Amino acid sequence: MFAYSWLILLLPMAGFIGLSWWGNRLPRSGVGLVGCGSIGGAFLVTLVVLADMLLLSPDQRVGNVVTLYPWIASPHFQLDLAVLIDPLSVFMLLVVTGVGFLIHVYSIGYMRDDPEYSRFFAYMNLFIFSMSLLVMAADFFFLIVGWALVGLASYLLIGFWTEKTSAVLAARKAFVMNVIGDVGMVIAAFVVFQYFGTLNYVDVFAKASTTFSPNDDGALLITLLLLVGAFAKSAQVPLHTWLPDAMEGPTPVSALIHAATMVTAGVYLVARCNSLFMLAPYTMYLVAGVGVFTAIFAGSMALVQFDIKRVIAFSTMSQIGYMFLAVGVGVFSAGLFHLMTHAFFKALLFLGAGSVIHALGGEQDIRKMGGLRHAMPITFWTFLVAALALSGFPLTAGFFSKELIIMESYHAELGNFLFWGMAVLGAGLTGFYTFRLFFYVFMGSSRSPGAHPHESPMVMTGPLLILGSLSLLGGVLGPWTHEFLSPVFSGVIPLHHEDALLESITVGVALGGIATAVALFMTGKDRLDFAKQMLAPVYDVLFHKYYVDEIYDFFIVKPVKAVGAFMEERAEKDGIDFVVDQVGAQVREVSRGISIWQSGSVRLYAMNMVAGLVTILLFVIFL
Amino acid sequence: MFEILEQAWAFNLDRETVFGLVEQSFVFVVGMTAILASLGVILCASPIYSALYLIGNMCCLALLFLFYNAEFLAVVQVVVYAGAVMILFLFIIALLGAKKEERDFSFEKLMGMGFVALLFCELLMALRVGFTRPIEGQATEDAIAIVGSAKAIGIELFSHHLIPFELASFLLLVAAVGIISLAKFSYRPIRKRTRV
Amino acid sequence: MDTNFVLFVSAAIFCIGAVGFLIRKNPLVMFMSVELMLNSVNLLLVGYSKALASLDGQIFALIIMTVAAAEVVVGLAIILTIFRTRHDLNVDHINVLKG
Repeated sequence: MFAYSWLILLLPMAGFIGLSWWGNRLPRSGVGLVGCGSIGGAFLVTLVVLADMLLLSPDQRVGNVVTLYPWIASPHFQLDLAVLIDPLSVFMLLVVTGVGFLIHVYSIGYMRDDPEYSRFFAYMNLFIFSMSLLVMAADFFFLIVGWALVGLASYLLIGFWTEKTSAVLAARKAFVMNVIGDVGMVIAAFVVFQYFGTLNYVDVFAKASTTFSPNDDGALLITLLLLVGAFAKSAQVPLHTWLPDAMEGPTPVSALIHAATMVTAGVYLVARCNSLFMLAPYTMYLVAGVGVFTAIFAGSMALVQFDIKRVIAFSTMSQIGYMFLAVGVGVFSAGLFHLMTHAFFKALLFLGAGSVIHALGGEQDIRKMGGLRHAMPITFWTFLVAALALSGFPLTAGFFSKELIIMESYHAELGNFLFWGMAVLGAGLTGFYTFRLFFYVFMGSSRSPGAHPHESPMVMTGPLLILGSLSLLGGVLGPWTHEFLSPVFSGVIPLHHEDALLESITVGVALGGIATAVALFMTGKDRLDFAKQMLAPVYDVLFHKYYVDEIYDFFIVKPVKAVGAFMEERAEKDGIDFVVDQVGAQVREVSRGISIWQSGSVRLYAMNMVAGLVTILLFVIFL
Repeated sequence: MFEILEQAWAFNLDRETVFGLVEQSFVFVVGMTAILASLGVILCASPIYSALYLIGNMCCLALLFLFYNAEFLAVVQVVVYAGAVMILFLFIIALLGAKKEERDFSFEKLMGMGFVALLFCELLMALRVGFTRPIEGQATEDAIAIVGSAKAIGIELFSHHLIPFELASFLLLVAAVGIISLAKFSYRPIRKRTRV
Repeated sequence: MDTNFVLFVSAAIFCIGAVGFLIRKNPLVMFMSVELMLNSVNLLLVGYSKALASLDGQIFALIIMTVAAAEVVVGLAIILTIFRTRHDLNVDHINVLKG
């Protein structure tokens, strides 16, 4: 009955194709209209799908597969061009198309002066299409197709300014790490096929509990391989190094892809395959452990960065760690709720940062910013709302989602005290670095004398306001979200545990982080310098991102490059090229030998003719 | 060929045998002369002599045609072949120069002669085959003698073999056009004005 | 009259013509040996036409004579065109198509 849901895929695809072909011939406003219109249309269709879905009863909402075309139908393997419309995919689609639409509108203003306007919107439409395909796929095959396409779109958009070498290198790095994840995903799909004989979600998840016993080898193998893909896409340790570099792309790209949607694909994956993951508790521990470790790891690195976008990037990494913590302890809908609220306030943070960068003419160093409070009021207030939400200040949307996760990290079956402790520490770090950023950028007096910042145009501040209100009021969506998503997770709704002690400690630590930031940054510089002096070696390590990039370069990149150079020299040039060249050279030699026969002398030709005649007569007479 | 000789050897000498013997020997002699003349064609140093030997060869062949009751063909051979074609040859030799060719005996020539010797042996293998189908034609000696050779050929040519005849005439036309375009002198315009 | 003799003579003249074509360097003599070969075939045809009592052989020989005449004419024109400007009549020296 959701046959029109294909429009959600077709509209962005049509936008992409249209803008790639005719984008240069349309005027700027036309390109913006087409680019945003396709996503807006997709969002409207999503709303209609949501409305239709709410008309059904909860157990009817799961397992609606809309098939467009039965593609492969052999006895051993069936694959259809189909999408799965269930609460999880609709939820993700709401986030993707909704926040995507707002960011598209924002980009109309942000990318206004860019000469490659239409190409940008074409790539953004391609990204929305790929992400929609990823969340709507009805089987592992199209999941991987969407996964790879999203990686492609990320590559294209990070390296959008092709004349910037650092951007191109960052795009390549992101793509290579994504491919590492893709390999894991593909092998996981093969193993799934080996155990289940099919790649459909519906069939696989129905048969999961009967095929595997808990902690069975097969379940562990599949889930671990899926995790490789999830960690690569969501930038968790150890495959995280591409995300800070990915900030070389334009700010709307960072907002859409590297904050709200693509990097959350890993969380979606774990949530979608919850039947498989619940059968492998060891992997769940790994998920939660890696998630909470990344939360602290990234948070610590964010403390000392001074590029505004990098701070927010590390913050993203940290928050996704929280989402993985949530799905790792088994409260999937809590993780997804945090995904939604995080999309709101993180996109808001990025867009606000973009507004600041745009106003200051491309300046991204926060040490050169300051005092923008009066010059850009709307950006100031929305940024403050986002920062409060990110830190988990009470009553913001972020508070509800984050607090639920932290509580569940202790109270859930798979949770324990260690997880809770690290999560609380991460919350404190979050408060500190977020407000450090806020104070550097907006408070105080301006540290760049030549700039004349002004408020951004309406097309940019409109989305900021919408996202700001969502970040403030989004908390009310919590209970509804849990109830809506429960059929997908076998009817489990996370309970609200009344544990006053832990809750107060959590809130206290978060507020403490904010207070520390206030103390260090708002009351004079000498305390900051004192702290810096005391912690100088720690500062160095944090600033260089724990030297992970250098370690990878030394242990992995350099050997691979050496092997590649060697292979090029010996295998390629001496091996393959030699063989191919010899084919041509031998032909030339042989033909040179044969061409002696062609002397141009008539008598020799006649002699050949006679000789041939003799031979033929021999055959005719005797044989 | 040797049956007549056998008959003669048996001293069975009647009129038929004697005529047959004389005829046979005559044919034999003319045939050998033809072969010798052809040898002369290829072995002479000067091309003029080669041409003359070829004319001799053709006349011998014409005589042989007469023996085989192909009178029309014999006359055509002498008139067209020996008469027109060879005269053309002689003109061209005269035009291009008739230098004597020096002899050299190279390996190529030996190889060529060897191949041709093989060819000769193979062709003689046909002697062992004999006739491959029975004689059933109607144009026996006597039948032709009634109408005359030319008329017999005419009746045959214009009724059963009309298309080759037409095509052969077409071929002659094409050849004529061809050589005119090949061998003509290029047209040089006459000077309109003389130089002052 | 039997056919062995005419076969023998015809084969002999044909082979002599072939040898002549392969041995001589003068293009006119080569052409003349080609004529020899054609003549030998004519002889063979006429001899067998008598032996088989059919006029087809003579007709064929007539057509061959026509074709040979046309061929001689065209061939001599070609030889004339090639060798008129050079002043040596040596077939081995036209090897522009070598290689």
